[in-house]
Amino acid sequence: LASTARPGRFLPGDPRVEEPYRLTPQLAFRVALLAFLALAVFAVLFLRLWALQVLSGDKYLAVANDNRVRTLRIEAPRGPVLDRYGNVLVENAPGTRVELWPADLPKTWPAQRSELKALSDVTGVPLREILDQLNKHALDPLTPIVVQRGLRQDQILYLHEHDAQFPGVRLAHSWLRKYPYQSLGAQVLGYVGQITSGEYKTMKKKGYQPTDSIGQAGIESTYDTYLRGKDGKAQLTVDSRGIPKGATTLLSNPTPGQALRLTIDIGLQRAAERALVYGIQRAHDASYAHADGGAIVAMDPRDGAILAMASYPTYKPSIFVGHKDQKKLAPLLDPKVADQKNHPGINRAIDASYPPGSTFKPVTALAAMQEHLITPTQLLPCTPDYTAYKQVFNNWTNLFNQSIDLPTALAMSCDTYFYELGKRFYLLPPDRGHPLQGWANRFGLGQKTLIDVGPEVAGLIPTPEWRRAEYPKSQGYGIVDRTWKPGYSIQMSIGQGQILTTPLQMTRLYALIANGGKLVTPHIADDVEIAGSKNQPTRVLRRFGAQPPQPSGVDPTALRYVQQGLEEATHASFGTGVGVFGAFPVDIAGKTGSAEKLVKLPGFPNLSNQTQSWWCGYGPFNQPTIVVCALIENGGHGGTSAAPAALKVFEHYFGKNGQLTTHISD
Amino acid sequence: MTIEAVDRRARGLKTRRETEAVGLGAVLFRLDWVLLAALVATAGFGLWAIDGITMHDAGGSSMTRQALYVFAGGMVFVGALFIDPSTYRRLWRPTYFGTLALMVFVLAAGAATRGSKRWVDVGFFKFQPSEFGKVLFVLALAGILSERSRSITSTRTTLSALGYGVVPILLVFVQPDIGTALVYTSALGAVLLIAGVRWWHLGALAAATVVTALAILWVLPAAGVNVLKPYQAARLTGFTHPGNDPRGATYNLRQSITAVGAGGLRGRGVLGATQTRLNYLPEHATDFAFASLAEERGFFGASILLLLYLLIVWRALKIVTSARDMYTAIVAGGIAFMFMFQVFVNAAMTMGIAPITGIPLPFVSVGGSSMITNFLAIGILQAIYLRRPGRRRA
Repeated sequence: LASTARPGRFLPGDPRVEEPYRLTPQLAFRVALLAFLALAVFAVLFLRLWALQVLSGDKYLAVANDNRVRTLRIEAPRGPVLDRYGNVLVENAPGTRVELWPADLPKTWPAQRSELKALSDVTGVPLREILDQLNKHALDPLTPIVVQRGLRQDQILYLHEHDAQFPGVRLAHSWLRKYPYQSLGAQVLGYVGQITSGEYKTMKKKGYQPTDSIGQAGIESTYDTYLRGKDGKAQLTVDSRGIPKGATTLLSNPTPGQALRLTIDIGLQRAAERALVYGIQRAHDASYAHADGGAIVAMDPRDGAILAMASYPTYKPSIFVGHKDQKKLAPLLDPKVADQKNHPGINRAIDASYPPGSTFKPVTALAAMQEHLITPTQLLPCTPDYTAYKQVFNNWTNLFNQSIDLPTALAMSCDTYFYELGKRFYLLPPDRGHPLQGWANRFGLGQKTLIDVGPEVAGLIPTPEWRRAEYPKSQGYGIVDRTWKPGYSIQMSIGQGQILTTPLQMTRLYALIANGGKLVTPHIADDVEIAGSKNQPTRVLRRFGAQPPQPSGVDPTALRYVQQGLEEATHASFGTGVGVFGAFPVDIAGKTGSAEKLVKLPGFPNLSNQTQSWWCGYGPFNQPTIVVCALIENGGHGGTSAAPAALKVFEHYFGKNGQLTTHISD
Repeated sequence: MTIEAVDRRARGLKTRRETEAVGLGAVLFRLDWVLLAALVATAGFGLWAIDGITMHDAGGSSMTRQALYVFAGGMVFVGALFIDPSTYRRLWRPTYFGTLALMVFVLAAGAATRGSKRWVDVGFFKFQPSEFGKVLFVLALAGILSERSRSITSTRTTLSALGYGVVPILLVFVQPDIGTALVYTSALGAVLLIAGVRWWHLGALAAATVVTALAILWVLPAAGVNVLKPYQAARLTGFTHPGNDPRGATYNLRQSITAVGAGGLRGRGVLGATQTRLNYLPEHATDFAFASLAEERGFFGASILLLLYLLIVWRALKIVTSARDMYTAIVAGGIAFMFMFQVFVNAAMTMGIAPITGIPLPFVSVGGSSMITNFLAIGILQAIYLRRPGRRRA
């Protein structure tokens, strides 16, 4: 309709109102443009729809199916650890663990944060720790994070009651390590903890999961594969808030871990740990105020079975279970606090090394006889001091002034006798090599014993070659530093200088003396078994047993003189250990050691020279069944603290009156 | 102000309007039956779809409520048929300023409760002014432009239309409702296009829009000025890298794409559609309804809906060409484009090819405001078509 004049109209039409409208080509073009756009837009939608639904439909179907299925882990109980008589050293207590399923958490950050904050308040796990874990597993939202194991009853009740406020949080049954003997054998047993990302990287191929618990130290770590068992699996369908829809279906039952039987005798272990405390007390009484640590190893000299391995200071492995109190863990995890607390986490029997002092003298004696530098009956002067190369070396006492044979030298622990041997070793022509060090190595010193718990240090038997390598020219060391001087050989003859051994190495050495010259391999695990019940006998699955002792090539006659010397040390009137062992009804043979060592005492800026108290020996003398080595750090003379401590172990083993306790025939 | 306002009767307009008044017979005879069929089919399909989509929700199926909205929408539709579109043109000022007033009210109420507020509660019914505003916005802008039709090619006209248009867009934007603001912007563009402003004006406006978007998303944040809240920016840009943030802003998107893809050719059915049923797909009754539909009914179901939409857009564009005057042509064009834009942005966002915005899917998403507005829009299209020039039997 146009705005042309109409009858009765007296004003022209208002063009703004009655604009004649025609479908101009321009407008048609613009409408066509819109139509074209519409077609393009819908084409895009159809193509995308086709691509998603038809071309990749299967892929997304799989994603959607994964989305709603939660694979639950049914924790397998970890295998118990038994001592040699079947006493349970480590077992499991049922507990509850809190899991966090990242996929089921609230989708908005504020809601997520407030939920995690609440969870942190309930469990006592710091919020930052939870967030750290979440971030670590951000790429895998369908694997739950274990926030905490071992919830208290009130925490469990709270989480159950406030279920709706904690989407993505699930409580599950868990097993917690339990230590009936508390701190006994702590460093040997080790503890269980969350697998670290570094461990996971190396263990991935063995089927470990990023959220697994794993033995972190001691035998828990070494025998983790036997102890851990196999977790079961169940499946559950959930909605997007993680709320289960329908019942849980079991896919596989958990397989409990196998029991591990140790060669340890927990009674003897207790005695050894008490003996350490006693030895330290003895040292304190004798005004060795800095005595604050030590180790005792008891071993069967015939096969290397460890009967007790004690290290002081110690800790309770239970602090790693359930709620972790950072204060209690600090001595183990925080280097600063560990320094103050004298490193309770270190197993001093294998993971610390000390100069052996006089306990090394049997090695010098044996090596000297083997190398024909002396005969056992040949007499050498025992004097207050010994001068060689314009240097004066003191004896440990100035009361001696006589000529003595080799067994007497061992019994009296006469230093000058051994200084002379040391000089003879030094004077050997170069083509003879370094036989003192060579024999020390053949007796297992200066190298790892390869015992089945770790970590272990090798110790050090210094040689001229080692010295040159240790003090390289490139670092500005001069000829004086790099040269092996006669004093080094002389000092090594009495186990001083830079020589370092571990208590276990020394135990192995004395086992060799006791068993007639064979080097045993120390071991702690006896077998893996399935624990028996009333009707079912215990079934041994795998016996680790002892590796056959290796002959060291030492001359039996030479060895007999050394044995004689060690026996005289505890029984002859001039013996250094007679005051401690002379009255003991069982014939014990052994050697004291008092080794000077520069140590860093806590609270003192400079190194100070402290005497390390040693005693190593075995019994009964004629048919040895036990070898004991005791070390008290900064404990003074061997007879002051280490020998009395070792006696305590023998007392437990043989009984106070020396009657063999029943279990020895075992 | 204008002569018609001084003496309308004198110009005989009233007489002409009366002769053009549409009777019931004319309605039945001149109606666009194809569009009506498409409307009925789409609304019916939407009801069926939403029944399946919401069946497992906490409150049960929303179909009954939605059917009520459809009924209300139908009434509005019929009512719209009998209103001459010229009425809207004459009333553009009250329409425009009334809409503005409502939006300001919504903002003020929102400020009082903090956070996003798009709703006005009138007791029995909570309605969303920005939804109704879509149609009112087109009606008002068309009125402004048709009033200036003589000088449509002048820069001044373009600028004043732009000025009128930008104010409601900003008001919606700060609600904050970016999606609806985008719909408004698209409508503004379509209205200017159909009204016939110069090409270079359109080009400049398009460029300005792009520059603004870039500035808001990229340049200003880099300079330390954040126009958008972080989650808004993340939602807008998240679709370009959906794998980036498994637990954050793109969670919805990933779940949505999974839902669409899992639907396959034939769909997983109401029971099998776990993404929807187990709530992995958030907002599946509203913003992500398309993904849910695609999961339950598959490529076939989603295609039927898309084809119905295409049919509506086609008929709407056809109505542009048969409109009686400039005003109605602009209105029809604005509605057609706005409708298409909504469908595209909503469906595309569920498939990861458009930013995530809170735009409802016409005739499917649960919500009364949207449903009634869409019925009103189609009703206005029909009203325009009824009054198309050409032979008619009264």
